[in-house]
Amino acid sequence: MKSFKSLKYITIIVLGLILLHALAFGQRHPRELPPPEPLKFKPPKPVEFTLKNGVHVFYLEDRELPLVYITGMLKCGSLYEPAEKTGLASLAGTVLRTGGTKTKTGDEINEELEFLGATIESFISSEFASISANCLKKDFKKVLELYADIVMNPEFRQDKIDLAKNQSKESIRRRWDMPMQAASVLFYEKAYGADHPLGRRVTPKSLSLITRQDLVDFHKKYFAPNSMSIGICGDVSLVEAKITLENVLKAWKKKEVKFPEVPALTEKADGTIYYAYKDTPQANIYLGHLGVRRLNPDMYKIDIMNYILGGGGFTARLMKELRSNRGLTYGIYGGVFDGKDRGLFLISSPLKADKAVEALGLIKDIVKGIQENPVTDEEISEAKNYTINSFVFNYQTKNQILTQYMRLKLMDYPGDFLERYIDNIRKVAKEDVQAAAKKYMDTEKMIFLVVGDEKRFDKLLSAFGKVTTVDLAKIMAEERGEQK
Amino acid sequence: MKIDKKITKSFFLVAILLLVTCAFLFAQSLEDKVHIKKLNNGLTVILVERHGAPVFSTLYGFKVGSVDEQPGITGISHLFEHMAFKGTPKIGTSDFEKEKPIMDEVNRVGRELSLELLKSDQADQEKIKKLKEELASLEKEQKKYIVKDEIDQIYSNAGGVGLNAGTGTDLTQYVISLPSNRLELFCLMELERIKNAVLREFYTERSVVQEERKQTTEAVPMRMLNELFMGAAFIAHPYKNPVVGWSSDINSVTLEEAAAYKKKYYTPNNCVLAIVGDVWPEKAFPLIEKYFGEIPRGEDPPVLRTVEPAQIGERRVKLEFAAEPLLLMGFHKQTFPNKDDATGSTVAYVLTMGRTSRLYKDLVRDKQIAVSVSAYSGPGTRYDNLLTFSAMPRFPHTNEEVEKAIWEHLEKLKSEPVTEQELQKVKNNIEASYIRQMSSNMGLAMTLLRYQLFYGDWKLYLKTKEMYNAVTPDDIIQFAKKYFTVENSTVAYLVRKAK
Repeated sequence: MKSFKSLKYITIIVLGLILLHALAFGQRHPRELPPPEPLKFKPPKPVEFTLKNGVHVFYLEDRELPLVYITGMLKCGSLYEPAEKTGLASLAGTVLRTGGTKTKTGDEINEELEFLGATIESFISSEFASISANCLKKDFKKVLELYADIVMNPEFRQDKIDLAKNQSKESIRRRWDMPMQAASVLFYEKAYGADHPLGRRVTPKSLSLITRQDLVDFHKKYFAPNSMSIGICGDVSLVEAKITLENVLKAWKKKEVKFPEVPALTEKADGTIYYAYKDTPQANIYLGHLGVRRLNPDMYKIDIMNYILGGGGFTARLMKELRSNRGLTYGIYGGVFDGKDRGLFLISSPLKADKAVEALGLIKDIVKGIQENPVTDEEISEAKNYTINSFVFNYQTKNQILTQYMRLKLMDYPGDFLERYIDNIRKVAKEDVQAAAKKYMDTEKMIFLVVGDEKRFDKLLSAFGKVTTVDLAKIMAEERGEQK
Repeated sequence: MKIDKKITKSFFLVAILLLVTCAFLFAQSLEDKVHIKKLNNGLTVILVERHGAPVFSTLYGFKVGSVDEQPGITGISHLFEHMAFKGTPKIGTSDFEKEKPIMDEVNRVGRELSLELLKSDQADQEKIKKLKEELASLEKEQKKYIVKDEIDQIYSNAGGVGLNAGTGTDLTQYVISLPSNRLELFCLMELERIKNAVLREFYTERSVVQEERKQTTEAVPMRMLNELFMGAAFIAHPYKNPVVGWSSDINSVTLEEAAAYKKKYYTPNNCVLAIVGDVWPEKAFPLIEKYFGEIPRGEDPPVLRTVEPAQIGERRVKLEFAAEPLLLMGFHKQTFPNKDDATGSTVAYVLTMGRTSRLYKDLVRDKQIAVSVSAYSGPGTRYDNLLTFSAMPRFPHTNEEVEKAIWEHLEKLKSEPVTEQELQKVKNNIEASYIRQMSSNMGLAMTLLRYQLFYGDWKLYLKTKEMYNAVTPDDIIQFAKKYFTVENSTVAYLVRKAK
């Protein structure tokens, strides 16, 4: 009885001490919070159907706001343009919208849309065309009509071709103004090769060779209903969306689309350091070599590896070491990325100039580190926890869900890719991360593209490896000569 | 009101009617969804329910920014924002009791070093070398106890996305979005951060900020020009200083100054917390109160005394830089809630918004002397600010040509009323933008927070729309006459540096 009593006292004292401790040091450590209740959430999936002429439609209702989003995607791009006319696809993407249609000028379309507070915008990248619209619910029919007219009957009027070319020539003049942008343009050229569509630079000369007929032909060749996907998301019923779409697109006839052969990418990287002088306060670097093909079976391993190496915010190794531990940069990112044929392995950062060469060595060591040793338990568990627990953010808005399904389909991902993603991430082991790091990154081959002023660096770049100089002033002079 | 064609008129009426209905529904639905509560310590909490995906976005802001800084400590608001990610006595350390004394030493040596460095030419180089070594070895010693970036680590493990913060002229804000089952984690983490921030790794972070300044200002032509432009447009008011701070101040600000600054401004009574997403007020408010209620109320922050004197003559500045030409033109104007603010924004829309705006059509599309022209109010809104035009000339055209063309349009505004259609178009676009604003949790949180923090009532956000709707063609004429004068102008040119 007595001992029981004293035990009770001790308990009280202990509890009291814990309480005092809690008072003195405030709340618990966040890691001590009980695990949260699991989320109950079944994300909505878009409805898919195909119109008579082959347009593939994705639809998802969203009644929260009186808005409708229209998203169109279509396979075509600069990958398929002739070398001497580099810039053709991009120009077509701009003038598709600004050049008007058979029945309306671009300026008339501008007036009509802007009065409604609606937008239709188009662009064409290396692989895909994207034509998106956003309007108030009440204007859905009118805007979709305009949208269809633009997609089916663009007129590519000469005045807007000239305007777009002039604008593009000005951005060529300005692309060397910002050091990181300059570094990226040069890096893509070296990594993909100046003869490949992904590495080629648009120039005043290539622009001047593009004619209106080229744009007309480009559109005729690639814009077919059977290659197009359209997504409708918003405050509109499925029936209304379907009927309106059938109606506005009915004049569009199916046709066969043929793509020219795209030259295969070959690895050009040979460990060279390319140095381009620019009077700028930091050493702006891009480094790497070719990456992987889309739908690579190792993609889950690569995703986890990227997170740990250079993707996962402050806790990624590159960021932790170069920014947080040493103050050598404001930001550094990188990883192995995919592309249709090959993507890129790249790391990029503006570095503190008077520690630039030291930093380059450090980056190389960090890449080697993830190849030579398994990642820690803490790292892999954070990478997985983050990926799994934040996955719900892929479903934040209905339109985000819809466009995500569209993109995945366009890139030939399996239909259940999203549903199975988390399980596939769970399966990744530490050895897999190391194996992926070894397989897809080569520290001997990777090239370095450095834009900056070597006089401000801690050492000459030649102390770090074989240097080839890129004469930025000469490139600029050439481009400017072409423009005259 | 002058309407040219009958057909246009009926079109207008329909459009206006529909928009009024939309506007009403919008205001109604927002008022239903917004819940607001002021805690005893002065913290205002705004909750907006949006039960779509099981996620929420949070944002809290303190009314403090570069406008609250003085010479010598410019950039301190931003630098402190960085320090708020370094942890607390519990987060970011394996043993705070052992770490603390080392940190105090870091603090002492860092201060001494900063003082010595300030002597520049007269500085004792031997002493500097010794202090630098001492600091490095202390930092190395402290590192043994540091759990690197644990705040990021904890949130990442919980599936948090977009952990970030931002500092502006007027406010400093912190953001994170989380799955909806992590509200308590958010409350606990942020209570810790606001109440007990520990400024570890201060001197390394100063170096990071120095690199940030180089990356985002010194290497960016438009940012460099803007720095010069603001310095010329404001001669007394702290809007003249860059948010990131001057390089010399970043180099010499001490840990103690940062801590004192935090104490002065990071109080619940100077803060608004906004949470938008899948949250239920009856569950969320008690949780928020339990944690955030613990933060003691502070003294009211000091009031800014300096008022920018009226400008009494044209100001022109030139930046020589290795880049293509750029142009900035600014005019002092009154800020919200003065009605000139809404009129100024309307003018900005008429002149530069979209492909049907006056300057786009004339300068970009027809004359092709510029590739882009835009206009905006800034650099902040808490105090009277500028309406600024920013343009990129197109080669071979010059800043002079573009400036002249802009002036012509400003002059025209003084004598010819804008058309009914132009004005209605602006109002329609503003209306649509209010609706679009609602589609993003974070976007909505940011907007509501601003109005609550600066003016004490988020509902003023709804009032801004009424203000836009009330703008008349005559208001625009009066605005142009009052502000678009040579004496009230500041013009900045970026010209390519001669080799």
